[in-house]
Amino acid sequence: MPEIVDNKQVFTLYEVASSIRKTLADRYTSPFWIKTEINKLNIYAKSGHCFPELVDKKDGRIEAEMRATIWKKDFDRINENFKNLVKEPLKDGIKVLMKATISYDPKYGLSLFIQDIDPSFSLGELEKEKKETIEKLQKEGLFGKNKLLPIALLPKRIAIISVDTSKGYSDFIKVIDQNIFGYRFFHMLFPAVLQGEASIASITRQLKNIKKVKSHFDAVAIIRGGGGDVGLSSFNNYTLAKAICSFPLPVFTGIGHSTNLTVSEMVAFQSAITPTELADFFLQKFHNFAVPLQRAEEIVIDEANHLIENEKKLFQTTIHLFKTLTRNRLKTNHDEIRYLSSGLMQETKFRLNNERELLISTKRDILRCAKELMREEKNEIGRMMISFQKDSQRFFTNQLEQLKNLEKIVQLVDPMNVVKRGYTITNVNGKLVRSVNDLKEGDVLNTLTADGNIDSKILKINSTN
Amino acid sequence: MSEINYTKAFEELQEIVHEIESGEISVDTLSKKVKRAAELIKICKTKLTSTEEDVNKILKELSSADDPEAEV
Repeated sequence: MPEIVDNKQVFTLYEVASSIRKTLADRYTSPFWIKTEINKLNIYAKSGHCFPELVDKKDGRIEAEMRATIWKKDFDRINENFKNLVKEPLKDGIKVLMKATISYDPKYGLSLFIQDIDPSFSLGELEKEKKETIEKLQKEGLFGKNKLLPIALLPKRIAIISVDTSKGYSDFIKVIDQNIFGYRFFHMLFPAVLQGEASIASITRQLKNIKKVKSHFDAVAIIRGGGGDVGLSSFNNYTLAKAICSFPLPVFTGIGHSTNLTVSEMVAFQSAITPTELADFFLQKFHNFAVPLQRAEEIVIDEANHLIENEKKLFQTTIHLFKTLTRNRLKTNHDEIRYLSSGLMQETKFRLNNERELLISTKRDILRCAKELMREEKNEIGRMMISFQKDSQRFFTNQLEQLKNLEKIVQLVDPMNVVKRGYTITNVNGKLVRSVNDLKEGDVLNTLTADGNIDSKILKINSTN
Repeated sequence: MSEINYTKAFEELQEIVHEIESGEISVDTLSKKVKRAAELIKICKTKLTSTEEDVNKILKELSSADDPEAEV
């Protein structure tokens, strides 16, 4: 009840508040639908009640702000609906269409009591945001950027963004590390939150970190699993999607879920339905490298052997041919030699025979001629002997005649005969006197006569010249 | 990383295989090519089954290159 103090009507605060409450209660009797944005959800874990902060923003500026209350019972129901339809629980920052009553409490002030929130509106809003994100990225030319990156021939070194307790992560690692082919990967975990609002900043920060050491990796894999389809809306966020688009390495996603692709998965280099499928993809890349490798090894070995076999065969054939040709040649030569040698022998025999015949007949001829010659000579000699006899007789007779003549002369000339005729030979001192010059008066001369000699002395010399 | 980039090794190997298959190789060069192919196969196989990255090195690099990055 109001008091009067100093002529003024004075109310207590409680009275004011009660009045406001009554006025509002009378004015706003039934609930109505409100479109707004939940700025912060503010769930009180102990009681289970929820006290969201609602805002209306225009061009980024807050136009209206109000607190609301959702009782645990209602909150659990609404959240369940959301999870079923939107695949997201209620969270900060979502736009909602809610059914609420206005109430004013003296102690707690003005607040809205939320009875229900339409999930399909929020779904629509999320879809709208998703579309906006896609359009913005496309306009900026970033949408397909990561897909255009070159992927290493062998993506061996993988930077994994995941939660190490997640089943998706352990599935991925198991397939990669325990593959039966012996392929070895290098992977390093960059832990992050992968669900809810916090995942945007968490994943983005890890992407930044990986970028610092990007030379050590061939690809990034964002892996999530086991969360079902709930809590994926952060992957439609513009900031996160942009970070993936402009990342310098190919980004792969293995986010196990069955609903439509999130923007992050759309812009990633490649998205796999489950972490296991992503692991299989990497193994397949190794196969694509290993299988041609194996084939190359086989071909090289086969072809090399083949070539060598061919060369061997060719060589053998050539050797064989060479042998045969040579043998034939030798045989031909041999035959020819034999033929020639037999010819030679025959010819030689023939010639020798001829010569022998010739020699024999010549010998015969010689003999015959010699005999004849001898006979002729004998005859000739006979003839000559006769003539010789005749001639020699004649000669002798001749010579005798001459000799007789000579004898006569000699006799005539013989000094004894001369002396006999009356001549004398005079010597002086044993020397014959030819000239009066050799003599002087008184020399003793010896004069030979036919019947002795006379010693005389010279009385006088009379010269006639 | 190793001296020869495995991508190049893979390409060179494919080239040699192609040459051998097309029968254009004489017996003289065959030995050299086969040897080279064996080398390349060994390198590629090693790539498949081994890894040379060091986690500690990466962690060190991460912590040392902590500069504020303007954009993502």
